[in-house]
Amino acid sequence: MRVEYINPFVEAAYNILSEVLGGEIKRGELYLKSSSMPVMGVAALVGLAGDVEGRVIFDMSLETAMKIASQMNQEQLKEFDDLAKATITELANMITAQAVTKLHDLGFRFDLTPPALFTGQNMEISDHEVEALIVPMESGQGRVEVNVAIRDRM
Amino acid sequence: MISKQDFPAINERAPEGLKADGTPFRVLVVDDSMFVAKQIGQILTSEGYEVVATAVDGLDGLEKYKELCPNVDLVTMDITMPKMDGIAALEQIMAFDKNAKIVMISALGKEELVKKALLLGAKNYIVKPLDRKKVLERISSVLGK
Repeated sequence: MRVEYINPFVEAAYNILSEVLGGEIKRGELYLKSSSMPVMGVAALVGLAGDVEGRVIFDMSLETAMKIASQMNQEQLKEFDDLAKATITELANMITAQAVTKLHDLGFRFDLTPPALFTGQNMEISDHEVEALIVPMESGQGRVEVNVAIRDRM
Repeated sequence: MISKQDFPAINERAPEGLKADGTPFRVLVVDDSMFVAKQIGQILTSEGYEVVATAVDGLDGLEKYKELCPNVDLVTMDITMPKMDGIAALEQIMAFDKNAKIVMISALGKEELVKKALLLGAKNYIVKPLDRKKVLERISSVLGK
């Protein structure tokens, strides 16, 4: 996967998480994932189709998702209810929108799907045709992994 | 001891959400994200505005505008929504009421749609993530405050 695909998502995740959470965000080391790997409990997925195709997943534990949703709503949410889900979905929307703006500026043209939110235990994601790069982002609320699998359209 | 009465006019201003007669500006919030609708509502009500209704998509927004008109002063309109998007809802509301004041709420990357909305009659736009100061500035400028 070309590195210019992932950088806009990493920058956007850093910018948006810093802005909405208000604390320091630390960028971890980028790593390449194997063809199958577990996701942490809450995963917001956005699909891309156009000059490039693939998907981006924002992956975090339920505990982290609850803390982020509570911080963004400025109230302590007690369960991962519709409001908490809408909040994490909107977070994925904002990060993706900012990243896509940068990719459009680089000349790539593609459309996005609305975010889909997956929650549950023992989930695994498999990408057999596109390799995925993962950048962990550490926030005061916990770790969010930006998992990007994009390839040039065949 | 210095008391507040010694400085009656300092740090006291009318909330931006109130009209000259003291009644609140009435806002219809159209957004499919419960989180964004809540955020806009909190920002507006903290400044004295009244959120008269929220709508979950463009079609719902159009129907609620028709029901509420003329008792609605401003609409905040998301762009990407199911059933009817914000651009189509804007067009239909402007056709129904050419004096409607609509502010578009957009994520980054929707510049072409924002330009289209402004050409179709939207009065201003706000880019997410929502910043309280930015939201209040844009809305009060549309209401001529």
